[in-house]
Amino acid sequence: MSEAFTIEAEPREEFGKNEARRTRQQGRIPGVVYGGGGPSIPVTVDPRKVADILRSEAGHNAIFTLEIRGKAPARVMLRDWQVEPLAGRLLHVDMVRVALDIKLRVKVPIHITGEAKGVKVQGGIFEFLLREVEIECLPDNIPDHIVVDVTELMIGKTLRVSDLPASDKFKVLTDANRAVAHVVTLKVEEEKPVEVVAEAAPTEPEVIKKGKAEAEEGEEEEEGPGKKEKKEKKES
Amino acid sequence: MLMPSKVKYRKQQRGRRRGKAWRGSSLSFGDFGLKAMEAGWITDRQIEASRVAIMRFIKRGGKLWIRIFPDKPVTKKPAETRMGKGKGAPEYWVAVVKPGRILFEMEGVTETDAREAMRLASHKISLPTQFVERKFTA
Repeated sequence: MSEAFTIEAEPREEFGKNEARRTRQQGRIPGVVYGGGGPSIPVTVDPRKVADILRSEAGHNAIFTLEIRGKAPARVMLRDWQVEPLAGRLLHVDMVRVALDIKLRVKVPIHITGEAKGVKVQGGIFEFLLREVEIECLPDNIPDHIVVDVTELMIGKTLRVSDLPASDKFKVLTDANRAVAHVVTLKVEEEKPVEVVAEAAPTEPEVIKKGKAEAEEGEEEEEGPGKKEKKEKKES
Repeated sequence: MLMPSKVKYRKQQRGRRRGKAWRGSSLSFGDFGLKAMEAGWITDRQIEASRVAIMRFIKRGGKLWIRIFPDKPVTKKPAETRMGKGKGAPEYWVAVVKPGRILFEMEGVTETDAREAMRLASHKISLPTQFVERKFTA
């Protein structure tokens, strides 16, 4: 926990999508604070301050002070946040009150260091499979990230959760057998000539049929060629 | 070319593409990705051409995920046919894409290579796209 953040919040009196839209137009975003034995309080916050927290070293696990107007400051952390899919703007945040003496369950990112020998020497591909692990610890002991060195990882070897550096400050809850990263052999793709691809006729997939529909379709198919012949005669 | 192995119905109506891609709009597997900025259809051929372009550029190393699947059949009437006489025959398959949808994801390459690979792929796609990476950028 390197940085200390403080966010000022205003209690929200009106709700619904229209009010939320007006709030966003004014440069703030709706949010809610809950947990810690207290009531749920709808608030508005400055999205830039929340974005600063998300961009910080501790990221979404940062514990910060929330000063709600007319209420005592509370220690909170981000529980959830909604992002607009195109511009990536924040739309809403959920904050949960944190008691500093009660253990929390949080997800901490795994950071990889070094280049695996399986890649450097053997020419394999490094795959990062699990980017976060769930841990249980006191709020003051939440690590910003867990660093793991993969230099000794060879082709066919897997780095598992149990291989992560242990600490007496937190307990890892994620299954110890889960793979974090591995190095696999390179699959060389054979390049097909373009002409062959162009000539390949598009095949139709199998149609899932039901009992009754099958019988009807069968009849249609039987009628099909006869009808076609008649139509051709008419056109001529 | 990508296409479903089994379908319930051979032909579909065209439908509309309203709204944004609220699902499938964030990176799930890789470090870098290509995001669609407008709604549209991406054909099986476009997906394949993009994949080939990416794989040719990165040559070895790196992993690619295709986050869209062409599961919608598009029909076409034969040339010089009078109108009517029913819907045409299925011709090709498309993936319905809404703005914000992640089309491809990559891992195991440098950012410069990923940008170039995605740039090449974007030239095969008929929609405006944007390169995205795994960090909070609001």
